[in-house]
Amino acid sequence: MHIFSLRRAGQLLVVPILAVFSALLVGALLMWIFGDDPLAAYRGLWEGAFGSPRAWSTTVRKMTPLILTGLSVSIAFKAGLFNIGASGQFIVGTVCSVAVGVNFEGVPAHLPLALLAGVVGGLLWGLIPGLLKVFTGAHEVIVTIMLNYVASLFAAWTVYAGGTQGQTPGPLWDVNAGPISRTAEVLASARLPWIFGEPYRVHWGVLLAIGVALAMWWLIFKTTLGFATRTVGANSKAARYAGINVRWITVLTLMIAGGVAGLAGAIETLGLNHRFAPEFTGGVGFDGITVALLGQTNPLGVLLSAFLLGALDAGSARMQFDSGVAADIIQVIQALVLAFVAAPAIIRQIYRLRKPGDLSESTVFSSGWGR
Amino acid sequence: MQKKRSAVFLSIALVCTLLLSACTTVAGPANPAATADEPAALQIGLVTDVGRVNDRSFNQSAWDGVLQAAAELGLQEGEEVKYIETQDSKDYADNIQQFVDAGFDVIVTVGFALGEATLAAAQAHPDTYFIGVDQFQGEALPNLTGLVFREDQSGFLAGALAAMLSKSGTIAAVLGTDLVPPVVAFKEGYEAGARFINPEITILSTYHPGEISQAFTDPEWGAATAKQALDQKADVIFGAGGMTGNGALQEIAAAPGAGTEIFCIGVDTDQWETLPAAHPCLVSSAMKLITPSVLDLISTYAADGSMTAGNYFGGAGLAPFHDFDAQIAPEIKEKLNEIAAGLADGSLSTGY
Amino acid sequence: MGSRFFRGTALLAMFLAVAAVAMTLLVNTTSLGEHPWLRVFFSVSALNFTLRASVPLILGALCGILCERTGIVNIGIEGMMLAGAFAAFVAKTSTNDWPLLASLLFGVGASLAVGGAMGLLHALFSIRYRMDQIISGTVLIILAAGISAYLFDRDAVAEGKFGAIALPGLSQIPVFGEVFFSNPPLTYLALLLVVVVHVALFSSRWGVRTRACGEHPRAADTVGIDVNRFRYVNTMLGGMLAGLAGGFLVLEAVGQFQEGMTAGRGFISLAAMIFGNWMPFGATAAALLFGYTQALQNELLLAGITTVPRQFVSMIPYVVTIVVVSGFVGRVRPPAAEGKVYETESGSE
Repeated sequence: MHIFSLRRAGQLLVVPILAVFSALLVGALLMWIFGDDPLAAYRGLWEGAFGSPRAWSTTVRKMTPLILTGLSVSIAFKAGLFNIGASGQFIVGTVCSVAVGVNFEGVPAHLPLALLAGVVGGLLWGLIPGLLKVFTGAHEVIVTIMLNYVASLFAAWTVYAGGTQGQTPGPLWDVNAGPISRTAEVLASARLPWIFGEPYRVHWGVLLAIGVALAMWWLIFKTTLGFATRTVGANSKAARYAGINVRWITVLTLMIAGGVAGLAGAIETLGLNHRFAPEFTGGVGFDGITVALLGQTNPLGVLLSAFLLGALDAGSARMQFDSGVAADIIQVIQALVLAFVAAPAIIRQIYRLRKPGDLSESTVFSSGWGR
Repeated sequence: MQKKRSAVFLSIALVCTLLLSACTTVAGPANPAATADEPAALQIGLVTDVGRVNDRSFNQSAWDGVLQAAAELGLQEGEEVKYIETQDSKDYADNIQQFVDAGFDVIVTVGFALGEATLAAAQAHPDTYFIGVDQFQGEALPNLTGLVFREDQSGFLAGALAAMLSKSGTIAAVLGTDLVPPVVAFKEGYEAGARFINPEITILSTYHPGEISQAFTDPEWGAATAKQALDQKADVIFGAGGMTGNGALQEIAAAPGAGTEIFCIGVDTDQWETLPAAHPCLVSSAMKLITPSVLDLISTYAADGSMTAGNYFGGAGLAPFHDFDAQIAPEIKEKLNEIAAGLADGSLSTGY
Repeated sequence: MGSRFFRGTALLAMFLAVAAVAMTLLVNTTSLGEHPWLRVFFSVSALNFTLRASVPLILGALCGILCERTGIVNIGIEGMMLAGAFAAFVAKTSTNDWPLLASLLFGVGASLAVGGAMGLLHALFSIRYRMDQIISGTVLIILAAGISAYLFDRDAVAEGKFGAIALPGLSQIPVFGEVFFSNPPLTYLALLLVVVVHVALFSSRWGVRTRACGEHPRAADTVGIDVNRFRYVNTMLGGMLAGLAGGFLVLEAVGQFQEGMTAGRGFISLAAMIFGNWMPFGATAAALLFGYTQALQNELLLAGITTVPRQFVSMIPYVVTIVVVSGFVGRVRPPAAEGKVYETESGSE
């Protein structure tokens, strides 16, 4: 991996930069056609993402869970598995961490325990599709999609205030919340502290997430396990001949993916929301797919793409506030960035770039459903 | 080689211009609004729940109230009056802060889910006034008004009406989600009202099965469930839950016998005005009058510089019968008036 | 073609179907119907709901089958569906002053056209620009969600929708006439399309060639089949079916559009396709099963006969799918050449 060679870095970055530029251009064209002011919109977007310390803090805050869910999807891709279930694993992680966070007052190392609970919850939720795939052949795409629904219903039940047909309240419901379904606040001892104080609402979780990304890079590219995982992803038959335990790698990869997504949920809860309520959805789990694909499933790429998507997300409210342009346009731009990055041929055609010899032109993440 | 290098240059140049243009804009209107017109007009902001300002449901009702107040006060939408549509429930605090930073005087937050963020913002910024729609206030803050409604009472009236109209002895309710207290209040009131008229009545009622983000925006589930209720011989159906409820109302409106044998009842606003597609069956709506209440609160603030501390109970009741007015028997109207009076003076309780 | 799978599952399915038919008749015509639990499982309202909930899933799964049988992975069904729904809505609202039927048919046409265009985009991305097909599908989903929400005019109102057409004679059959033969037109069309796709896929020259492209494109190329052309055409056809599913939601089921109104139906279709082993009838059975579990969940809640918290009741469709997928189907076999870009012999390599 000559990842730090300058020339190669330049080559690697030309397409993504032009892709972002082109996507913004097409987005502007769309806004202009439909009577919005693209310049005002982008000015607002920039202001909201980078225009002030508070804007920066929003970007960083938005980026944090995206890094982790992006990693979760990426590591599964490395083994040739498509983890659509990051949002379910995120939610289960949230619930588990909150369960520890609101209880066990005075226990030593409360915060690490709560984080660990989130990881374990996500891990177990990732274990289910892994085991089912290995032992029954159930496809992980179906199972993880279904488990997302189950997870969000399960989470909603844990904080359920109780029904009027005799249904009992859920175990994590805050008795003082009256008819509102939600948990109590996480105890102070289990919260991730703020880095810059209250108004900026940036917590130490962001460094944790970056650390996990680096660790993941090391795991994938520098260890035997990572090599085995990549071999299984590239060609599971060859991996089997090479004596790699494909089943074990499959289960393990999905577990790690689940654990990382669960950690994302734990960090969001212990650092930011400080409680769980049903309106906190696992949407970042689905965004993780975009992050992973945009980052070419490379952990370092995931860091960059999470930053980009976090910034877009952070700026959208300010964009609407300043220019009145609906935030939905951000989604369009996201889709275009993804398209242009994933199909460098389009960018090369538009900007008449030559194809560099030593870079493979297209990445294939999943060569179909079964294997 | 030549081309590649030029491409790198091109991209670097592009990035630089991008950064440059951005930097210049940062330096420009960095301090918006605050410096512009200091003593001038009132500024009103609105933060939606996850949803749109024109969702034909409660966000829109609140926004209409703001717009009406703006018209009365001569304020300009997009200048002194703005909204932010929340994309993610984690953003409530940020979106409120956006208005605080811009120096807005009155900030309306819509939906019970924003209650906590609103309370925190009101405590941190005592000079800004907040209106929290559907946010019940435990302790009164001088700069925060919780705009709440007796949904159970208007639901009670709707239930009584449904029970009196039903010939089959089965009525139904297609509801948003029980994770949102006002919806529960509507349902409990509806069932109590129906049983008040006819203790033997069969009531089929169900909440949306999905998560909270989908519960109010799934018209097909509402429609299919309404059809299911019709198949089970329900002949009056109460649709309460944003788009989901609207889906139910539209399904009933298109069913055979709509307006003669089967009827529907809307929710929140007088849906005769907001959902023309439901006209064939829509006898009335169980209203909670968000729009006039918001207007009222803002007007009061504009005149006196203060608002009700604590909770403000907005109007709740049945909407007019419109085209069905002639079809509703005088006894029914009389009974409804009697119930409304009883609920108002406390001699009648919804039990919620 | 997965015949052992087909035989085992088919026998079981047939047995279950016969049992269900018998119970349904009994419950809806005899005094057994007074039992609340039996009503929950076999009432006409549950069956009606089942069919209605299944139609978009069936069409979505057919879309997946067409694409994947030629070797193009399509996880973007959700996006195609949403685009079709939005197109139908725009077409319907802009022609509200036309005669109702003409306006509705125009809406159907628009949903087919835009669905087809989404299919073309998917094919262009994955064949011409060699984008990873999973990414391409994801792009379609995000793009459709973003554009439809950005352009949605919330003040627009679609007036009218397709009503039920009772087939003369057939609709008089007790119980089943009510369920199967008094439906709106797109429902009939969807059921018809299942048969059409099945016959076309397994009994026509086009079908043989399509499957050849998906199983062994090199061999197909050798015998003179233009593999990529087949992939383009089939992905577009598939897109049209997914678009039609969206059209069904707007023009027949609801009568309005709503952001994100497909609400995951595209993903469930995907599951139905895999569950049905890439066979039209198998996928339809899977879609019906899913629709039925949804109906069941609703019946249970409506009847109010259980004090189990409703969240657990609502899990039924998803848990049943997981159990069935892991217990019954076991390993399914997708088309062999799926997801791979096909380079022609004379091509760039």
